[in-house]
Amino acid sequence: MGKVKIKRKSTLIDMTAMSDVTVLLLTFFMLTSTFLQKEPTTVITPSSVSEIKVPTANVASVLVSPEGKVFLSVAGEADPNVAGGEWASEPIRAEVLRKAVQTYEKYTGKKTGITEGDIVKFSKINMFGVPLDVMHSFLELSQTKQDEFIGDMNNPQVGIPLKDITYTDQDGNKVTTNEFQIWMRAIYNSGNDNLQSAMKSGEGIAVKADRGTPYTTVHQVLDNLQTMKMNRFSVMTALKTEKD
Amino acid sequence: MAQIEQGGGDGKKKKGAQKKMAIHVDFTPMVDMNMLLITFFMLCTTMIKSQTLNISLPSNEKVEQAEQNKAKESEAITLILATDRDSQGNVKNGPDGKPMNTIYYYEGKPVVDDADKDGLIDNSNLKVEHFVGNEGNEVQGIRRILHNKNKKVLEKIDEQKARWRNKEISEEEYQALAKKIRNDSTLSRPVVIIKATPEASWESVITALDEMQINQISRYQIDNINQVDSVLILDYLAKNRK
Repeated sequence: MGKVKIKRKSTLIDMTAMSDVTVLLLTFFMLTSTFLQKEPTTVITPSSVSEIKVPTANVASVLVSPEGKVFLSVAGEADPNVAGGEWASEPIRAEVLRKAVQTYEKYTGKKTGITEGDIVKFSKINMFGVPLDVMHSFLELSQTKQDEFIGDMNNPQVGIPLKDITYTDQDGNKVTTNEFQIWMRAIYNSGNDNLQSAMKSGEGIAVKADRGTPYTTVHQVLDNLQTMKMNRFSVMTALKTEKD
Repeated sequence: MAQIEQGGGDGKKKKGAQKKMAIHVDFTPMVDMNMLLITFFMLCTTMIKSQTLNISLPSNEKVEQAEQNKAKESEAITLILATDRDSQGNVKNGPDGKPMNTIYYYEGKPVVDDADKDGLIDNSNLKVEHFVGNEGNEVQGIRRILHNKNKKVLEKIDEQKARWRNKEISEEEYQALAKKIRNDSTLSRPVVIIKATPEASWESVITALDEMQINQISRYQIDNINQVDSVLILDYLAKNRK
């Protein structure tokens, strides 16, 4: 009896085709993606039928957490090299902080102790929201510590304060403002005309709040915007699904 | 990993003939790495960009009473939004799993009648509705109320929409015509005043603004709730307590 020889088949699989597919997918994701921006809290926006897209450039977004904390972020020109690069996000943020500190110190008479180094650090942060008098010590922290600090919604030192600041100008008139208004004005007057006109038309201000947030909480912010005559703004929503 | 096999090793090679080589490169590690990268990109990206809704609010400056644009009584409808919350302040969900948003509304001026002077409102014109989507082609809930109020505009827009669907006019033309119809002052159009109670959820405010878009209402505003409104709601709740 002859032995039945079992043919040894190679187990090697040709992965070339698989590799082709994965590279294609990878290219697709790399080209279509925009990275998630880091935010102190996650909010689920309400849905609407509106189909206007959020602008990614020249926009000041206001995030209102369900606890009523207010955070801000500023995005500059989409092309960082426009007009010599001074309107890219980072230089604008630096300018905004300089302007805000200047106004704050003038109105309150307090010193914030913010240095040039702090301004550089600040310009790297996407979303900010601490009172100006703790800004210096906040910027001294390491990045992970900063995230930890700003993510704690029960900390009274988190969020831009909406508390009134009263100050008397040289004519003796009493002016009431608050830190949120100081920040918004600083963004408005940061020198970028495109950002300013976007904010005027309402596309440059985006308010983002959670669907469950009580109206009074959001109203505080809206009321401040109204006081600053920023009557036109947009509200971030998600696309309405079939079952909504 | 990559290997070069010498093919046809029968020993019957002709001299001078080129050696045929089959080259196998193992792509498994490459695929592994690609998969990892894909996973990373999938987790770190936002595919759907958020939508925005444009709002314009009136300025906070005090307007002289005489200068104020008074809405015509017959055209005005006031919506007051409220949301049910539990003791922790979380939004309660109704039996259908949707948040319990209630809309109190009245047409024209609020009616606060107290003929017998007992301190109770005898009859108010406050009514209650909810946010419900369409049932087939039938509009329901608050949408039905607003739909009926803005019927003339909607009918005209539907006419144009049909023309656009039949490719008689382009989309731009349709949008321009729709805008013109929405702002046509010869048609009876409602003026909607949206108010929200302090505990009303942000979602309900947005949904109300959304209804304006759905019903093609061009004149609406967000206003602060006043005493009369709160009294009417309290009165309604007192009378309809289960």
